[in-house]
Amino acid sequence: MNGIETRRRSTKAILLVLLAVILVLYGFPFAYLLLTSFKPPSEAIAVPPSVVPDVWTLENYTAALSKEGVVPALVNSVMTAVLSTLISLVLAVPAAYAVTRYRTPSGRVFVLAALVTRMVPTIAVGAPLVETMRALGINDTSFALAIAHTTISLPLSIWLMASFFEAVPDEIEEAAKMDGASRIGALWRVVLPVVSGGLAVTAIFTFLASWNEFLFALLLTSVRAQTTPIVIANFQTQFGLDWGAMTALAAVYSIPVILLTLTLQRHIVAGLTLGAVKG
Amino acid sequence: MTLRRTRGRVPAAALAAATAAALALSGCGAGGDPAADELTVVVEGGGLAELEPIADLYEQETGTAVTLVELPYDGLYDRVQTELGSGSVSFDVAALDAIWLSAFADGVAPLDDLFTDDVKADLFPGLVSEAQVGGAYVGMPIFTNAEILYYRTDLFEDPQHQADFEARYGYPLAPPTTWEQYRDAAEFFTRDTDGDGQTDLYGTDVKGAVETEWLATVSQTGEEHMVLDPERGEVTIDDAEHLAALDYYTSLLPYAPAGAAQLDWAGAQNLFYQGQLAMMRFWGHAYTQTPDDSPVAGRIGVAPMIAGDGGVAGVPGAWYLSVPAAGAKQELAKDFIAFAYEHNELSIDTSLGLAARVSAFESQADVAGREHYPALLETLNAPATRARPATPQWQEIVDTVLTPMLQKAVEPGADNAALLKEAEAQIEAILR
Repeated sequence: MNGIETRRRSTKAILLVLLAVILVLYGFPFAYLLLTSFKPPSEAIAVPPSVVPDVWTLENYTAALSKEGVVPALVNSVMTAVLSTLISLVLAVPAAYAVTRYRTPSGRVFVLAALVTRMVPTIAVGAPLVETMRALGINDTSFALAIAHTTISLPLSIWLMASFFEAVPDEIEEAAKMDGASRIGALWRVVLPVVSGGLAVTAIFTFLASWNEFLFALLLTSVRAQTTPIVIANFQTQFGLDWGAMTALAAVYSIPVILLTLTLQRHIVAGLTLGAVKG
Repeated sequence: MTLRRTRGRVPAAALAAATAAALALSGCGAGGDPAADELTVVVEGGGLAELEPIADLYEQETGTAVTLVELPYDGLYDRVQTELGSGSVSFDVAALDAIWLSAFADGVAPLDDLFTDDVKADLFPGLVSEAQVGGAYVGMPIFTNAEILYYRTDLFEDPQHQADFEARYGYPLAPPTTWEQYRDAAEFFTRDTDGDGQTDLYGTDVKGAVETEWLATVSQTGEEHMVLDPERGEVTIDDAEHLAALDYYTSLLPYAPAGAAQLDWAGAQNLFYQGQLAMMRFWGHAYTQTPDDSPVAGRIGVAPMIAGDGGVAGVPGAWYLSVPAAGAKQELAKDFIAFAYEHNELSIDTSLGLAARVSAFESQADVAGREHYPALLETLNAPATRARPATPQWQEIVDTVLTPMLQKAVEPGADNAALLKEAEAQIEAILR
């Protein structure tokens, strides 16, 4: 018994160490970014670098947030990500539902085809998108950028939602129909509440894809709809790197995502579990 | 059985969708609406400040608003390439790095009528030749930079250092003007200043992650065609001058901090500002950007770039204003470019403090705080100073051949001759 107990403890200790190492590997870059954002400019660029600031200051935050275009870019990022999430969900939910419930060969082809679009390099569709948006007269708008972001997130959203719908037994819908609900009514009133965790997971992935996207934002926006990733990148110019201000804005930009993830954490776990146990 | 009521969720979702639709229909962003008669100029973040006063004055005098769209360096290239390639452009003027001119020459309108004899006479020769691609002027220089020599005045003016240096090398300590003097000074100042057994002051840096400083060294040998001769389609990188330049460049490694392979402009600048370097070859704009809390603030001197057998030489780092051939406001765009040239001196009082016209540089000859201007003037006017080769593949050659080659060259035991030979084959493959 003592031997088994010792082995268990050793295994647990090894796992904890492994966990700690992984946590540090994942967490250190962000922790370093956060700590650097509180360093004075000369300390932020010191060689060799220090991890913890010798002097703590909010100077970088003041400089970053007072830079022209930063606040509008933050607003644009929120607008674009919310729009993209809504568009993506509005399109993905009925598509995924139809594919999983009707189970037709064309539906399977459709889902595969949706996945294929993920394999096309983003830059390859950049030029056509620029031309299309300009022809539509919506270039440099959050709407145009949200549509572009939806082209990235929609295939994943359909696949995710399809896996969540698969996990919902047909009998639940049948029962709803017996109570007089139409198919759409059953979807709206019964199925969607059941997969609300999955919806949350899909929404957060879609939101994140738009929130962090760079290339389409670069190609499709100029002044009115420019998002924060472009503004963050602008702190590095050919003539210098404003490391402190860049880290400060990056830290500020991370906050909504962290808050969103923490708020939806329960739904995310539930959603992931829902998808994982499907037969 | 009663269906669970989900009305609370449905209206919320409907409201969100309605909001989305409203936003979509408005098609707006948070930055404000552009006026219909304005000019849009895409520019890299570093050059934005140079154009701002000119754009403001242009609006004041002509009533045409100029919107400057700030983009990251790589992003600007991608954006311009994509839009010129698609034939549908969102900008009226683009500020282009010199090394991009050849790549974008086919997509921009010629500006030959702007390059009068008077204009050409007031621009550095290297810039005039660089602006011409395939027989047409494709960009008007708006500001230019060049590497010059930075040195610590507190070290060079120290009487003890002066005596020690003269005793060791047989000539007085002064800001170096030649390769040999630079190497001597680099060796002399590389030392342990606090007695802990560790070297904490280096004579110079050696940058392995950027190629321009080595290209300047190539020109200092007297080489007329750095890397390649685009007119004859001949790759020159494997000749004796390039090897001499690479040998000299890497001979400075013992007097430079470790990690040369990863050292780029920002890293070198930081080392100098931290007081870890006695000298540095760096772009002229940095003279006015020393942080106030830097230990070397107020102790920095500048001089022209050093000379090899071919004399003083740098690499012009100019930015040009170009008009897309597909642009809808070409005449207005050209008018703005002519205005920018005419008021080039406005760029002097900006964060970079750089201009393109010789007269603008000369106007600051005796102005306090502009001590770097004479050094820039001499370097840019030097006969051996040459622009980088005009080839559309230049960026690719830099990224895939020159920088990796330099990174290998600064590693211990590198065979410079073999590296140049290998680079020659790679560049020939790219050009084919």
